[in-house]
Amino acid sequence: MKPYDAVIVGGGHNGLVCAAYLARAGKRVVVLERRERVGGAAMTEEVFPGFRFSVFSYVVSLLRPEIIRELDLPRHGLHILPLESTLTPLHEGGKAGDYLAQWNDHDQNRRELARHSLRDAEAYDEFGLVLHQMARVIKPLLRMAPPDPASLHPRELLDLLKLGKHFRDLRPEQFNALWKLLTMSSADYLDEWFETEALKATKAASGIIGTLLGPRSPGTAYVLLHHYMGELDGVFRAWGFAKGGNGSVSAAIAGAAQAFGAEIRTLAPVSSILMERGRAVGAVLEGGEEVRGGRVISSADPRRTFMSLVGEQHLPEEFVQSIRRFKFRGASAKVNLALGELPSFICMPGAGPHLRGAVSISPSVDYLERAYDDAKYGEISRRPYMDIVIPSMLDPAMAPPGKHVMSIFVQYAPYHLNGGWTDARREALGDAVLDTLSEYAPNLKSAVLHRQVITPADIERVVGLAEGNIFQGELSLQQMFFLRPAPAWSRYRTPVQGLWQCGSGTHPGGGVMGASGRNAAFQILGRRA
Amino acid sequence: MSPALVLGGGVDALVAAHLLTRAGRRVTLLNEGLAARSLEEGWVAPQLSRELGVEVTMRRIDPWAAIALPDGGTLALWQDMGRTVESLQRLSPRDAARWPDFCARMAALARVFEEMYTEPPANPLDLGLAFRVRRLGRQGMEDLMRVLPMSVAELLDDWFECDALKGALGALGILHLQQGPRSGGTAFRLLHHHVGSPPGVFRPPRSDLGMLLRAHPAIETRSAAVARVTVRGGRVAGVVLASGEVVEAGLVVSGIDPRRTLLELADPGWLDPQLARALGHIRRRGVVARITFKTPQPKSALLAPSLDYLERAYDEAKYGRVSRQPYLEARASEGGTEVHFQYAPYRRSDGGWNAARRNELAQLTRRLLPGLGDAEASVLAPPELEAREGWPEGQAYHAELALDQALWMRPLPELAHYRTPIEGLWLCGPGMHPGGGIVGAAGYNCVKQILAG
Repeated sequence: MKPYDAVIVGGGHNGLVCAAYLARAGKRVVVLERRERVGGAAMTEEVFPGFRFSVFSYVVSLLRPEIIRELDLPRHGLHILPLESTLTPLHEGGKAGDYLAQWNDHDQNRRELARHSLRDAEAYDEFGLVLHQMARVIKPLLRMAPPDPASLHPRELLDLLKLGKHFRDLRPEQFNALWKLLTMSSADYLDEWFETEALKATKAASGIIGTLLGPRSPGTAYVLLHHYMGELDGVFRAWGFAKGGNGSVSAAIAGAAQAFGAEIRTLAPVSSILMERGRAVGAVLEGGEEVRGGRVISSADPRRTFMSLVGEQHLPEEFVQSIRRFKFRGASAKVNLALGELPSFICMPGAGPHLRGAVSISPSVDYLERAYDDAKYGEISRRPYMDIVIPSMLDPAMAPPGKHVMSIFVQYAPYHLNGGWTDARREALGDAVLDTLSEYAPNLKSAVLHRQVITPADIERVVGLAEGNIFQGELSLQQMFFLRPAPAWSRYRTPVQGLWQCGSGTHPGGGVMGASGRNAAFQILGRRA
Repeated sequence: MSPALVLGGGVDALVAAHLLTRAGRRVTLLNEGLAARSLEEGWVAPQLSRELGVEVTMRRIDPWAAIALPDGGTLALWQDMGRTVESLQRLSPRDAARWPDFCARMAALARVFEEMYTEPPANPLDLGLAFRVRRLGRQGMEDLMRVLPMSVAELLDDWFECDALKGALGALGILHLQQGPRSGGTAFRLLHHHVGSPPGVFRPPRSDLGMLLRAHPAIETRSAAVARVTVRGGRVAGVVLASGEVVEAGLVVSGIDPRRTLLELADPGWLDPQLARALGHIRRRGVVARITFKTPQPKSALLAPSLDYLERAYDEAKYGRVSRQPYLEARASEGGTEVHFQYAPYRRSDGGWNAARRNELAQLTRRLLPGLGDAEASVLAPPELEAREGWPEGQAYHAELALDQALWMRPLPELAHYRTPIEGLWLCGPGMHPGGGIVGAAGYNCVKQILAG
């Protein structure tokens, strides 16, 4: 049989995106996926009979619009239903009562904010404008293969000059505003704009997702931008839910890849990268089968790719050091609930449009910071931050008639838990989540038919993400751009001839963006994005 | 030529006053009647003492850190790298082996800052800066990019395993800062304090620069507080003293913190509202109390046993509480033993400071640092430091030295070149680049700009 042009290890969304672009360019491509279905962390599963869940990743926003367009994903079944609001129930003096709601409708949103603070209502639009502008500065970087700033290679120098020009073309105040976002804590940054605690906390929460950092940790402000980078149907800031769950995002990309001629093999676990004369020439499956190809492209995280699939002996010492110090420190967990009835929040009883949006348990910045304090020393947050959606409100097919599924993103649950993760600790986490949430929605406990608790250790075991980090490595400044995943190796190449990377562990990183997979494909094809 | 006024009691103001005098200006220093320190902590750039014409004595203690260990022993970090390696050997051969390499790499980075600190802040988009950084070579550049945004805890965990060593170095990452060792940007602070010291020495020296300049008869010094900086037609016209006396001047150089200078002292109405708002956002949270014990024998000690210890101390400060287990550093001073107590927040969540609460700090210190006995103590909590030293909110650096308030962002990009929108009014205090901990450099850079303009 003719060997493949490219063997892609791992069928997560980035591996699939990469496969689709290579196949579109006429390459013979095979994707090797360990599990029985593709998608990695973006997958839908019927966990309990009749109840379907986006088990791990659960919302869409950052998926690059050029990918949706170029791969024609809607034709392959991608359909995104927007989330229209974010409700933050408050918890003053131990009694739940008031709330802060953020609506997509501008006037409604302004009226609600003004109820809490006239000043904040006024600052809100300007804040949005500033972040929108910053997102526009950052966006071109997302589709760039970061050059190596220490290199003397003419191509790298040229790219460095181009990059320099991108920044030099900015007005100084834009550059400075960007610098502030990169270096400040989200709490300090938001303090400059707003006074309503719940507003600051709910915004700051987006800065801590996926990292073991708190809202007062410098470097968390940057992630606020991510919320302003999402583009659904050209609308900024819209977050959405994929019809059929996040598995349908993966299925649509896989469909596109197959339509371009890529081959996808499931239940094909790769045990190592096949090396010959110091070059990667294929992948070895667990059964011993060798799948050969001109190039091997790994969408697995850097630790798995290099430490376990390639092996240290094939790598330069310095590179091994860099991969060793690459920080993962997963801190996020998921609780998926099958519900017999909808939750009724004290602050907004009964059903209503607020249940078609997100619910954020983030009453104050101190609340989030305390949750982090627990995790910093290796404990589960006693009162965790939660981001909740009820997908069955938007897509009734996710649950049996009259019943619902609830997806709860939980932070913090540190991978490095004192004493390690056990079944008992997993249930303790589930209890902490339900206990906390019941204070806001007292009927919740009795509404629960089934519950699934997923710890960072579970994410690592099931999906393969090192330490359960949802971004394949923390998105902190010292692990971004030039430095992701290792200095001098940020352009999707690796020190091993013939081996490339295309996972979220490369620039620009996680969040179901697909940008890493696309950028890698363009680099491999020798094209500019 | 019209006379010049320099405001403020700090060493930067003194440096500015003397340099202006040497340039032929008639200068009056209005020192607000603030306390004078005999020794200043921080590196003094050689060109600074050269141009001032003074022989500065730098005092470096050896060992520069002596850390009491849980087993009763001491870990000493010496000026001499070889001796430090020996003393580390006993605790961790691995750390001892890594010490020289760590020191060389940190020293290479500190040298970059050394150059940048004795000139006005470089434009980050300037190609000259890019070339300067590239001169570091691959290793140095990678270190710089990685280390700058890092937390000091992450940096030290990358290199070392010994808690006592990491605690002592970590303390330099958080000195006078409302952040803990796990906060990003604190590795930069370690480098900041390393500037000007030989490889392997992370504790800055103490110098007598301030004392020498105060003793110098060349300038007129008045112990007067300023109530207002008067502005006419967008130009500075002089100051009004607290006594009501009007002093005319065409040049006013303020070593008082930027926020107070421009928002409280300067006549209102001359600032762009955007700038006024940004000034109001400058962070300057004081977190340190200074306690002097009248001990017969001066005592020196360092209590920063591990990074977690420091982090937990910070945890309390986040919520406006005094650390129950603070970072403490005791050393000899004129009055006996002076203790640096961190964190003691300016704004307490339980209301304000009072005599009983100040006394609690002394009691806690006595309990944690044995050997102080019942020596009489005087406690300066942040509000007292604000009043005595002119430190806004008790913050020694006038504006927190964090990455978003450092270099060309210090204290704000619009003011980073020491000039204000009010013609003839300049800023020269530690709130300016390069900031507190680098003695007199802000005053030096400011005067260079004034004379060049």
